[in-house]
Amino acid sequence: MRPFQKSASLLSVLTLSTSLLSGCAGSAVKPTEKTAEGQAIPLVGSSTVHRFTLDNGLRLLVVEDHSSPTFAYQTWYRVGSRDEIPGHTGLAHLFEHMMFKETKNLKDGQFDKILEQAGVEGENAFTSRDYTAYIQELPRTGRGTSDDKLELITRLESDRMVNLVVDEKAFKTETDVVQNERRFRNENSPDGLMFQELFELAFTKHPYHWPVVGYQPDLDSMHASDAVEFYRAYYSPNHATVIIVGDVTPEGALAAVKKHYGDLPGQATPVHPIPAEPEQTSARHKLLKLNMKTEKLLMGYHIPAAVADDIPAISLAQILLTGGKSSRLHRALVDTGIATSVEAYAMDDKDPTLLVIQCNLQEKKKAAQAETIILREISRLAQQAPGEKEMERARNNVNYEFYSGLDSSYEKARFLGTYEALAGNFEKGLEIQKKTLAVTAPEVQAVLKRYFRPTNRSVITGVPK
Amino acid sequence: MKKLNLPKFNLALFFVAVTTTFSPSARAVEIAFEQDSSVPLVYLNVALKAGSVQDPEGKSGLTNFMGEMLLRGTRSKTKEQIDLALDQIGAKLAIETRADAMILRGSVLATQLDPFLALVNEILTQPSFPENEIRKLRSEVTSAILEELGSDPTLATLRFTKLLFRNHPYGKPVMGTIKDVAKLNRAEVLKQYERLVRDKFLLIVGAGDAKTGKIETWAEGLAHARPNTGHEPMEKVTRPEDAPSRRLVIIDKPDRTQTQINGGQIGVRMTDSRFFPLYLGNYAFGGGSFSARLMVEIRVKRGWSYGANSYFRHGIQPRSWQFHLFPAAKDTAPALETTLKMVEELKEKGITPEEFDFSKRSLVNSAGFMYNTSKKRVENKLLERTLDLPDGFMKSFGPELSKVQLADVNAALKDYLRPDRLTIAVLGTASDLKEPLAKAAGIRVEKVEVIPYTQE
Repeated sequence: MRPFQKSASLLSVLTLSTSLLSGCAGSAVKPTEKTAEGQAIPLVGSSTVHRFTLDNGLRLLVVEDHSSPTFAYQTWYRVGSRDEIPGHTGLAHLFEHMMFKETKNLKDGQFDKILEQAGVEGENAFTSRDYTAYIQELPRTGRGTSDDKLELITRLESDRMVNLVVDEKAFKTETDVVQNERRFRNENSPDGLMFQELFELAFTKHPYHWPVVGYQPDLDSMHASDAVEFYRAYYSPNHATVIIVGDVTPEGALAAVKKHYGDLPGQATPVHPIPAEPEQTSARHKLLKLNMKTEKLLMGYHIPAAVADDIPAISLAQILLTGGKSSRLHRALVDTGIATSVEAYAMDDKDPTLLVIQCNLQEKKKAAQAETIILREISRLAQQAPGEKEMERARNNVNYEFYSGLDSSYEKARFLGTYEALAGNFEKGLEIQKKTLAVTAPEVQAVLKRYFRPTNRSVITGVPK
Repeated sequence: MKKLNLPKFNLALFFVAVTTTFSPSARAVEIAFEQDSSVPLVYLNVALKAGSVQDPEGKSGLTNFMGEMLLRGTRSKTKEQIDLALDQIGAKLAIETRADAMILRGSVLATQLDPFLALVNEILTQPSFPENEIRKLRSEVTSAILEELGSDPTLATLRFTKLLFRNHPYGKPVMGTIKDVAKLNRAEVLKQYERLVRDKFLLIVGAGDAKTGKIETWAEGLAHARPNTGHEPMEKVTRPEDAPSRRLVIIDKPDRTQTQINGGQIGVRMTDSRFFPLYLGNYAFGGGSFSARLMVEIRVKRGWSYGANSYFRHGIQPRSWQFHLFPAAKDTAPALETTLKMVEELKEKGITPEEFDFSKRSLVNSAGFMYNTSKKRVENKLLERTLDLPDGFMKSFGPELSKVQLADVNAALKDYLRPDRLTIAVLGTASDLKEPLAKAAGIRVEKVEVIPYTQE
């Protein structure tokens, strides 16, 4: 997933996954039932997650939902750009593209063609700093026949997990495609470029420094052999979670997955030391002159990893600042005619990461003024505790986002996949939700003082050329 | 990400899930609500069957502006109070303006439905359009229009749309032009409200964890408060026409390492007898599949562009059929030349039997995804009602596509496509592009128009 597409990914679930859950997920994070081979854990409403682990380490999560004859099928690999090394930036994402190519059993193009003919919906993939996911939805037709779509997708996904053929010519052509994606998302996009610059500024040692899409020279210098090495290291059953949500039964899904993945061998997990980011002790600023007509401001504060103990309070602080039109920064920046929009979002990362505040200025207004106001409002919130009504508003906002982030098979699968990748278990996401409901005003103030220090910020200012 | 997510119609065929039906109403207002308690939320849309095409001449953006102003004050509440009330109950409310409709999109925690309905009613029936908020909104909209100049894909689409439709209302930007927005005033906003927010133009469509009867009762009350009183009727949109010959316009923006190519012609109505054959033909050509011709030739074989696709846009009148790709600046001319040859070949030779079989099977098999959630069914109803389509039309794609034959597709393509009358807009740095693009498009270089990217 592209970094600046905040609305997707965890943002809508993790950082907003707080408050006012009233019952469903909030009190239901413990397994309630042991099945023959797995656990059954309540998710939301009447949805239950069935968890299985195969002998080769493959994890399987199944949510049975017969409201429509379709199912979402997602495969999450626990590898992303944080696992790359300097000089090979962008390899995780480039490899994601290669996964749609030839395998020992299928010619180039056949993977897509077979699924498209089967009626696939939303066939795609995305790479983050920490994980890579392959997603699709299929009609649940052909059940019990040779045309069974569950059977089809498990066969195809298990095939490309171990049988991919990476050919140099195809690799180079796909590199050109990715170079174009990079131009599209970063080089020719003010928002994308500023986002890239923010992470480069904020991270000096940790791999979050570089963009998921990679750098042009690195992309140009890599070969198919690099992709093969990456594939062998990270694509195996014990590095993946398969998630199936929809018109299936846990038993049927398990049988299909066992049949196609059961004999695949697990692989040793690569030892890849990831340098910790040193504490930031002074504010960092960078000015970019861009082809645009209004100024933009992008700020990042170092915060802990997405599943850390302080995340619930940080999530609530974020909502108090920018969640809804009555939020503090919206009032201070948009209602006053300084900005057209302001939003904050914590990145959904496995390692300590950033909380980003993004502000688009109105005509002739200065980003520097917006920065001053943001610092003032953060300081004010840290000094004066929000009242109960304001806390209730924040909890309602968060609660709304939690439910709306779980209202389709695709969204449910995505929620599960994200927390499985980040925390090793999706229950952590529900636990964060529950804890966020219980965050107090002093706890919000404490995290503001701990993480939203002026010296802990990096700032990119975009101004018209 | 492997590919961009494209707009696509995937229609229902095999689905027997709940359908959304319109309820008879004592008043003119139309209501459709589907009960769905899978999550404790309620989605509610109040649509006006009137969109930006109803903006008067020289007042582009007025309908959208009026819609936004609804959220900025009532007789008893300021904008701040409305915002507070919405956030307090965990609700969202936003305006979406399209060419043929304006939609007030709302959603709320199910437990807070009553105060939400009361607030939406107040917003729609008692707006105050305060002067200070009009000033603030004018500034916000102007800045938002300026902000679009920084986004190449958005800007390229806006400029292409204007060029394709020339002076037709479909060419107007929904948010308006900076020049027009600067002139909008309270009297005009009020007049547009009195003209359009009337029961006969209202459409209530929603889904969620609420009783249908409650929504119906509420909608009746809303309609009662806004009876039609014979205000000035809506203007009927005329059918747009293609330009008489092929045109190439370069939207000149400095320092581009990548271009945005949009090309196309006036589209067809969804009720046109050629629509389903064309829909299938377009799928084979560039309809989002990785096996489509454009994707194979432009991306898979040559690596020229991350995305390469074609699609129809729909309206009460024909909107557009267009292709879009975004190659590196150096590959722009060959990519355009290849694409134009492919359009010409598509017209002359049509699609192959293999492409036909593949496309038909793919479209029919994926048809169910149109209706597999209540939210999608709601969107379909909105489309049917705001585009004057027959009830259930969006559900008919599967059966209709099943009936289409290869000969129908190729006859429709031959009849419909006008490669010699295409409008082509390329956003890029003109100094590097003008001559090679003229050659690629088969247009004399002096005929190529170059306009600054800031020109509205």
